[in-house]
Amino acid sequence: MSAFLIENIAPLMFATLVIVLLIGYPVAFALAAVGIGWGLVGIELGLLQPTLLQALPERIFGVMANDTLLAIPFFTFMGLILERSGMAEDLLDTIGQLFGPIRGGLAYAVIFVGALLAATTGVVAASVISMGLISLPIMLRYGYDRRLASGVIAASGTLAQIIPPSLVLIIMADQLGRSVGDMYAGAFIPGIVLGALYALYVLFCTFARPAWAPALPIEARTLREPDGTSGNRSLLVLTVIALAIAVAFWMIYYDRYNPETATDERIVITTSVAIGAAFFAALLSKMLGLGLFSKIAERVTFVLIPPLALIFLVLGTIFLGVATPTEGGAMGATGALIMALARRRLSLPLLKQAMNTTAKLSTFVVFILIGARVFSLTFYGVNGHVWVEHLLTSLPGGQLGFLIVVNILIFVLAFFLDYFELAFIIIPLVAPVAEKLGVDLVWFGVLLAVNMQTSFMHPPFGFALFYLRSVAPAKEFLDRLSGRRTAPVTTGQIYWGAVPFVLIQVFMIGLIIAFPNIVSGGLATREKVDIRNIRIETPPEVSTPGGSSFGGGSADQDEATKALEREMRGGSEKKPESPPEPPPK
Amino acid sequence: MSSLLAVSRLIDRVSDRIGSSIYWFVLVAVLISAANAVVRKAFNYSSNSFLEIQWYLFSMIFLFCAGYTLKNNEHVRIDIISGRLSPRARAGIDIFGTLFFLFPMAFLIMWLSWPVFVEAYTRHEVSTNAGGLIIWPARLMVPIGFFLLILQGVSELIKRIAFLKGLIPDPGEKIVTKTAEEELAEEILRARGERAIAEEIEGIAVGRVERK
Repeated sequence: MSAFLIENIAPLMFATLVIVLLIGYPVAFALAAVGIGWGLVGIELGLLQPTLLQALPERIFGVMANDTLLAIPFFTFMGLILERSGMAEDLLDTIGQLFGPIRGGLAYAVIFVGALLAATTGVVAASVISMGLISLPIMLRYGYDRRLASGVIAASGTLAQIIPPSLVLIIMADQLGRSVGDMYAGAFIPGIVLGALYALYVLFCTFARPAWAPALPIEARTLREPDGTSGNRSLLVLTVIALAIAVAFWMIYYDRYNPETATDERIVITTSVAIGAAFFAALLSKMLGLGLFSKIAERVTFVLIPPLALIFLVLGTIFLGVATPTEGGAMGATGALIMALARRRLSLPLLKQAMNTTAKLSTFVVFILIGARVFSLTFYGVNGHVWVEHLLTSLPGGQLGFLIVVNILIFVLAFFLDYFELAFIIIPLVAPVAEKLGVDLVWFGVLLAVNMQTSFMHPPFGFALFYLRSVAPAKEFLDRLSGRRTAPVTTGQIYWGAVPFVLIQVFMIGLIIAFPNIVSGGLATREKVDIRNIRIETPPEVSTPGGSSFGGGSADQDEATKALEREMRGGSEKKPESPPEPPPK
Repeated sequence: MSSLLAVSRLIDRVSDRIGSSIYWFVLVAVLISAANAVVRKAFNYSSNSFLEIQWYLFSMIFLFCAGYTLKNNEHVRIDIISGRLSPRARAGIDIFGTLFFLFPMAFLIMWLSWPVFVEAYTRHEVSTNAGGLIIWPARLMVPIGFFLLILQGVSELIKRIAFLKGLIPDPGEKIVTKTAEEELAEEILRARGERAIAEEIEGIAVGRVERK
């Protein structure tokens, strides 16, 4: 019996974990309990040092002193304040009116606004609810295909998962031991490409099935000039002026006077200058009553400024190396508070609710991490990682075979698990193998993040579909404006609508594997800025053999820790297989 | 049983009070971190104590809110199987889980982390970062946090048993207040005045646990 246990302790431990998680008790406690339970068995069998569990307090302390994780409450809080600030509604209204009169226009507007919201609020539920309540009724009124309409809304909402600043990338960075800034830089282009692919699909639909996405009649637009024209020409002029300013600024300020500036700094600053100029022109025209621009031009400029300013405040400062991702999150949250105050949308109940939700979300996320760390203490102690590595490296096809198997595994698990569980349980197991096979971990993290994004779109458990269902009309209803009875959106239509977008997601995974430069293109420029970072987001592991290096962050290697490490090392000399390896962060 | 239920109610009140006080630290941490970033850039001044106070606050949030989050049933579960079971079966799972998962792990961590605090306290352990904070309050947070978690576990246990005995309604279903999603949806609808649709979607509860 005990020989069998000793031989198969790692697979048995993993099997126990699966069963225990399926029971349905909170994941965090189940993980920790399995770790501790098997830890006691391992000690009893002589596989593990009796002092093994002494490392538990230090593991928790490592999680506490982790600067990276601090970004989770900050970005969560920012999103919660922002989703109620009215920004999403303004954007959807205005951009919808702008794009509406072209075929598929409302769908493009949803994708565009989805990407903008993803780069600011980053809350899937909020994006889907806003779009489902604002854009979906208009799409239904003008006869959009229900599957296309709901699919595009659900998919655009999930862009929040991949376009930085997203929580999944923070957690991924923490688990893979890479900096959040690198992760953000790596995910940026794939996020944009995904949005473009969604738009391409809409474009394809407008050719293959023109009735699915009709153009809106010009009467649907309320922002028109007094003479009835659209006013688009004026917007075009303003855009051209802004572009000209950008090009001029780039060529004169950078090429002539500051040629050695890093590319991403150029992009960030040039964009800010051009947008600032357009905003200033529109503001001047409005305040002085010059009437230089059409209504739509002014309106578009004004609604785009808040999200773009926030993107600059958060992502701009992170990419420039001025702020750490954690600080970027805090500044973004402060910016969101100021914006909500300025729009008179901030109330005490809203503030309390945002803090309450943030506190609870941070708690359950960190507790899953604590549970996973406790589990890994034992799992690594019994050489579970060697077992997993053996399983995965013996796959045919080397690196590619590994990538395909891992992606299929995550794609399937994403039907049942959400990304917190995937990131904390699966990533630590596969990351060391990926590294051993020579896979770049930032690239790997972005790849898996694109994959995990599908967990929001998978019928029937996908959260984006769930939230869309909750706000889409489920029964036949009387459309107020057109006065027509309008058919409901069925659950089947929502599910089928998501399928093409899940396939696009799979296509994107293939694209990233085939062309790794999509991810690393964003990284190459990043390298130069890295040096000027004031702080390093994730300090390197303390690589004492068998040492207890935990967390990440600036965990203090204080006396107690060192004493403990000595103790653990002392033990490791007697029994080489027992020391707990530091978990792959 | 009724006296036990009184104990459970008391524990719930304590958890609520702690949770609704501690969540203000979210705002405090945001403001400190943002101010620190700006001050460092503008005046080239920075102190490690400002950085450390942020993770002190963060640690207090997740450790002291552990019980509060448990009380609100917001620790993430995998409910593909349990979601199809009866409320009684789910209560049974919770009793089993509390006794065999939650209590052992929380007791062990509390018990092991106490001496770590005592040592930090008696040795006046200070952060190794220049200008850093004293460490023992952070060490003390761990046993306190897990104690609060156990306390709330006791309350949940009492409630589940009382439910199985038919004394109280299902404690697993506690949709007391509106979720952030429901409020957002209502606010948009109010602003739009889309009464027709509002009536149609009435009664469809927007999901409770938000996982993004």
